[in-house]
Amino acid sequence: MSDPLLEVDDLTVQYETSEGMLTAVSNASFTIEEGEFFGLAGESGSGKSTLAKSVIGGLDSNGQVSSGEIRYRGEAIQDLSGSELSDRIRWKEISWIPQGAMSSLDPLQRVSEQAIEIGNVHTELSDDEILHKLKETFEIVGLQESRINDYPHQFSGGMQQRAIIALALFLDPELVIADEPTTALDVIMQDQIFRYLDRMKEELDVSLLLITHDISVIFESCDSIAIMHASQIAERGTTEAVHDNPRHPYAFMFKEAFPDVREPKRELEVIEGYPPELMGEVDFCSFADRCPWAAPECRQGAPPSEPVDDDDPEHIAACVRKSEAYELYEAGQAGEESAGQSITRMGEVD
Amino acid sequence: MSSDAPVLEINDLKKYFEGDSNIVDMILRREPSQIQAVDGVSMALEANESVAVIGESGCGKSTLLRTLIGLHDSSDGEIIYKGTPVSEFDAADWKAYRRNVQVIFQDPFNSLNPKMTVRESLAEPLGIHGIDNKAERIRDVLRQVELQPAEKYLDKKPMNLSGGEKQRVAIGRALILDPDVILADEPVSMLDVSTQAAVLTMMKELINDFDVSMIYISHDLSTVSYIAESVKVMYLGRIVESAPTERILEAPKHPYSKALVSAIPVPDPHYDRGRTEMSGAPRDPIDIGEGCRFRDRCPEVIPPDELDIDQQAYREIMSFREQLERDEITVERIESIVEEQERSALLDTIQDEYFTAEITGKNESTLRAALTSLVEGDDDLAVKNLRERFGSVCETTPPEVESEPEWHVACHHYGANDRSGEKRGAEERVVHTE
Repeated sequence: MSDPLLEVDDLTVQYETSEGMLTAVSNASFTIEEGEFFGLAGESGSGKSTLAKSVIGGLDSNGQVSSGEIRYRGEAIQDLSGSELSDRIRWKEISWIPQGAMSSLDPLQRVSEQAIEIGNVHTELSDDEILHKLKETFEIVGLQESRINDYPHQFSGGMQQRAIIALALFLDPELVIADEPTTALDVIMQDQIFRYLDRMKEELDVSLLLITHDISVIFESCDSIAIMHASQIAERGTTEAVHDNPRHPYAFMFKEAFPDVREPKRELEVIEGYPPELMGEVDFCSFADRCPWAAPECRQGAPPSEPVDDDDPEHIAACVRKSEAYELYEAGQAGEESAGQSITRMGEVD
Repeated sequence: MSSDAPVLEINDLKKYFEGDSNIVDMILRREPSQIQAVDGVSMALEANESVAVIGESGCGKSTLLRTLIGLHDSSDGEIIYKGTPVSEFDAADWKAYRRNVQVIFQDPFNSLNPKMTVRESLAEPLGIHGIDNKAERIRDVLRQVELQPAEKYLDKKPMNLSGGEKQRVAIGRALILDPDVILADEPVSMLDVSTQAAVLTMMKELINDFDVSMIYISHDLSTVSYIAESVKVMYLGRIVESAPTERILEAPKHPYSKALVSAIPVPDPHYDRGRTEMSGAPRDPIDIGEGCRFRDRCPEVIPPDELDIDQQAYREIMSFREQLERDEITVERIESIVEEQERSALLDTIQDEYFTAEITGKNESTLRAALTSLVEGDDDLAVKNLRERFGSVCETTPPEVESEPEWHVACHHYGANDRSGEKRGAEERVVHTE
């Protein structure tokens, strides 16, 4: 029982393309404990959705786990077949709230029918037992039990969200993976969804792997965070540790790129360029070409994921200059002139 | 009009769409329902000013923009460009208007022609409007949108540009005709956050440098301070609050603006802003008649003075009555889910179904009496009894008042008169006293 709920260990995921093996996830590691909310952040093209899909065996047909392990309660699951995953893992242990969650209910089926379909695929439960579970879950998300037989169109927008969360929860999973569940939603609607996810955490002790480009949402709602850039996890740790003491240049620049309504005039960070597409082995820092502090060793081997020396023993940064990069950045913020010089100097080293 | 007229002025602009009607409606000669997408919007855009229109999806902000560029005809009200109403435009005026009022769309991935190079995309509007020295203009504009050196971009097609670069080309295309007004519809919402800031800052500088005015339309209040000096918050077709950006972010007045600002995520794990209290989503703006559009979700909806009732209970009763009035509640539906057909069981079921708050005392007896009328098939009596006891001033349209200089709010909490001195009731008309 002492095994963590989910361990992603040195995972590399690649897609076969006409130009060779495209590496979407490179040597990524993190763990999620029971009851933990874990946020995976990054720009489009960072590999975060691929990573999430690989956990439930949902990669596209040209994708594969090339190396590393995904362990669920200590058991390696990356090589399980689709039917084994369906029988044992999916929905009962790990469920999924899809991207664009609002449109993911089948409009032609009653919610109860959709639940029975899911339940029949993944469990041995009878239809009555399935409906009983759905009713219980409806209660948790604040929907009337009597409405399980409604069609999606009979729900208002807010009730649809709750029905979707209920469908992710009704088979008592330990881990819910949510891939951009609130992207493209307005802030009020987004906050409503998170209100129910908060309640799910409090009442059911469920863990969450939240995939999003929006670091604000993770800082608010999650216990831990990993920030991904072009296949590599740049930095991870508790949200407090990463927020207060970010060490990887991508982590702090990404964080500073987000507006904060409390400081409407703060200058926002701009990260030049975009994440590269990587073929084959990624044996360098994928952020080097965008990093103002890149040094020659950044391109000589993938940066080691090493602990940051602070209160959080799990706080890891993968940057060879992690002990000084943030100080250089802060110096740059404080005095433009001296910073300009130090950045130029770094550029020359390069 | 004098030369001091605003660049663009909108007076009580309305855009209604007709709802679907079926053959039964035609036989019965029913009036088609009206979708009130834009419902009486007024604003003035001064030279060199940047105004943001903020609202959730479905609030009518994109319809407003499309009406402004002539993609929709307005149903009522006026658009006045430099003193001349658009309704009086001749063909030449329209051509000049289309040159001087440019649009930047949300999706740079689809708004550029994929078969055209950057050079061709930028040359096209110049050709249409018969403007010479194209090469020079194109280079100038690429410099302004910070795509440097120009040679690197001129012969690229959109597929070889990043999202941020595409949006810069789209902005360049809007600027190349040297317009007076730019209408920007969520111009950065599809961009990664690492480039959002750069594009916003650049747009802001362009407004300052080029004497352009801008209406910036977005659902995102968190970035609006980087682009607009003032904000108009829109809800279901109407502007509910207008104020200088920083002030509204700091202390919004309208209950909807408050909800919107307080729901913006704050990127700080040590800060607990609390989740939104609001439930539900905006309703459809179909035949919604009079009254404040936000009242069915408003945490500060105003009950009659003498009524002793908790906010949520009150809002639920009001919302129930309005659903009754719209024929959205049928006894058949409730009967289909209740097994016992006994009267009191049926009443309990209805109450469980539609009410979560505790309702007690006289409030409860009025409600139960109304439910009884409903079950007996007399919907009108149910509505009448509920209205008598629970009618709200919020069912009349709140006038827009200037509660502070440059700060307009359309909410009965900010009446022109002190609210406490007013006599209120559902049937009462609010006198416009600006």
